[in-house]
Amino acid sequence: MPSNIPAASRSLFDLRRQRIDGSNILTSSWFLLPSMIFFVGWQLYPILRVLWLSFTDYHFLRPNDAVHFIGFGNYGDAVRDPVFYGGLWRAFMFTLLFLPGMIFIPMLAAILIDRVTQPKVATAYRIILLVPSMIPGPLIFVLWKWLYSFSIGPINYILVNVLGLFDLHNAPQWLGDPNLTLPSLTLMEWWWGLGFHTMFFLAGLGAIPKELYEAASVDGAGEWSTFWHVTFPRLRPILLVLVVLRFGSAMALVDEYLIMGGFNRALPTYTWTVYMWEVAFNLWNQSYAAALGWLGAIAMLIVVGFLFWLFRSRD
Amino acid sequence: MEIETLAKTSYRARRPFPWDAIFRHAILIGFSLSILFPLFWVLLLSVKSIPDAYTNKIWPKQFDFSHYGYAWKQIATLPRNIMNSAMVTIASVILSVLSATLAAYALVHLRTPGRRLIVGLLVASMFFPTRVTALVAIREIQKNLHLLNTAYGLILPYTAMSLAISIFIMRGIFEGIPRDMAEAARIDGCGPWRTLWHVMLPMARNGIVVVVIVNFVAAWGEFLLASTLANDQEMRTLPVVLASASGGQGAWAWPRIAAVYVIAIAPALIIFSLTQRWYMQGLQEGALKG
Repeated sequence: MPSNIPAASRSLFDLRRQRIDGSNILTSSWFLLPSMIFFVGWQLYPILRVLWLSFTDYHFLRPNDAVHFIGFGNYGDAVRDPVFYGGLWRAFMFTLLFLPGMIFIPMLAAILIDRVTQPKVATAYRIILLVPSMIPGPLIFVLWKWLYSFSIGPINYILVNVLGLFDLHNAPQWLGDPNLTLPSLTLMEWWWGLGFHTMFFLAGLGAIPKELYEAASVDGAGEWSTFWHVTFPRLRPILLVLVVLRFGSAMALVDEYLIMGGFNRALPTYTWTVYMWEVAFNLWNQSYAAALGWLGAIAMLIVVGFLFWLFRSRD
Repeated sequence: MEIETLAKTSYRARRPFPWDAIFRHAILIGFSLSILFPLFWVLLLSVKSIPDAYTNKIWPKQFDFSHYGYAWKQIATLPRNIMNSAMVTIASVILSVLSATLAAYALVHLRTPGRRLIVGLLVASMFFPTRVTALVAIREIQKNLHLLNTAYGLILPYTAMSLAISIFIMRGIFEGIPRDMAEAARIDGCGPWRTLWHVMLPMARNGIVVVVIVNFVAAWGEFLLASTLANDQEMRTLPVVLASASGGQGAWAWPRIAAVYVIAIAPALIIFSLTQRWYMQGLQEGALKG
């Protein structure tokens, strides 16, 4: 209680200071100005501008035509567009494939690294696992496109020439076979994200007091029940945050699909994001693309909201 | 202490042979090897002789180190593309580190009206698929500013792209610095600018390293905006060139394109290896709290 008194007087002091010269609000706006220019100019305004476009019949290739407000016309077309909802479904399938491994493999890695007793060895593991996170996504996708390549990729070289499991007639077409495309992309994403997600779980593990483990081992708890009753409940918040964040980002991937599948509609890489890009910049029907972009975002946010609600209500 | 040693000795006594440690290291070494193998493969590919590259042997019979020089001299636009990437990346890293540091400082240590609204908008922007949905309007903005099809025009959207996450990283760092420090500086007569410069920044070094690396990696490898906003080969950045180069033919023979690839991934890996100690500390100090 006594600690409240200086805090209260301090804030009174602040208020008085502000009233005298008013400089505080002014200076804080100077500090915020650069960020706000970029944030409003290239994030907030574009989103709202796209929202406005989505209610019009604007078409990039008809610059001289008057633009009309057409209400939900574009949205009506979009929900009946099989390419669009098929694309949303493909993105959702990828997300379901991708999420479990993106959460549990890094968790396993973190638990193992956390138990390495030599600090230098543990640091070495951390650094090696973090290396892919220092390579920008698009360059990762270029590299894996080569790794999966039928002619030059080392994966098929090992399967065909070293292990002899396949010959050149039946060797897997990792990116070309629609059944293998999404699993192949998933493996790549796991490879890329392993280290970075491991760091989140390591931070969580580091925050667990060691006494809890000692208490558990004094109580005679085994490995598994220690994990289940001590470790896992304390990693749960991190796990939930990662699930929500990764769900959002996995539903809206676009670079990997453009680099690895292009505009081939037969491949599962042709999701709603690629469709939106093609409508916007190859067919130039930008008001329809705007509606597709917003509708995809809304569909995604509904699930994100549901996940938030699900995880909230249990805690 | 005694209980701890007791627990340890009884643990050891029960298990004379460290099966679990062997198992642990086997899995971790497996992870490490599968992380390193693709990078090792592309590095080897860039120094294979051309016949060895096409016969696909992992370890070449004959090495050929000329591909780096060849790519630099014979692929006409490559030096230009590398310069584009470097210029755009350096400019947007500087802009976003400055903007994010100032904004985070204002949000944590200054009396900022509407702080809740700003933080809320920033959080919302991280859950919204902005980079996809906003693309149409970003192209329009760049067109109106006459920045379409220029490399330097990319600086503006690149700075905005990782701004929210950068502000949150710096906010986590500044929240870890005791308020009393700012208070003491102010009582000593420091204005907010001098407090930030002399008191806060020296303590925020690790966080700034994290922000620099996050922004560097994002801008250096950005593909979607670059391929949407700049079409001429001259104006392209390195990732667009690599993604659109179909390997196998002439100047783009596999070892040569692999050499370009190694050039492309080297800068971030070098920066990381030089700063990894601070980067790790920065992650622990608060970057992961956001």
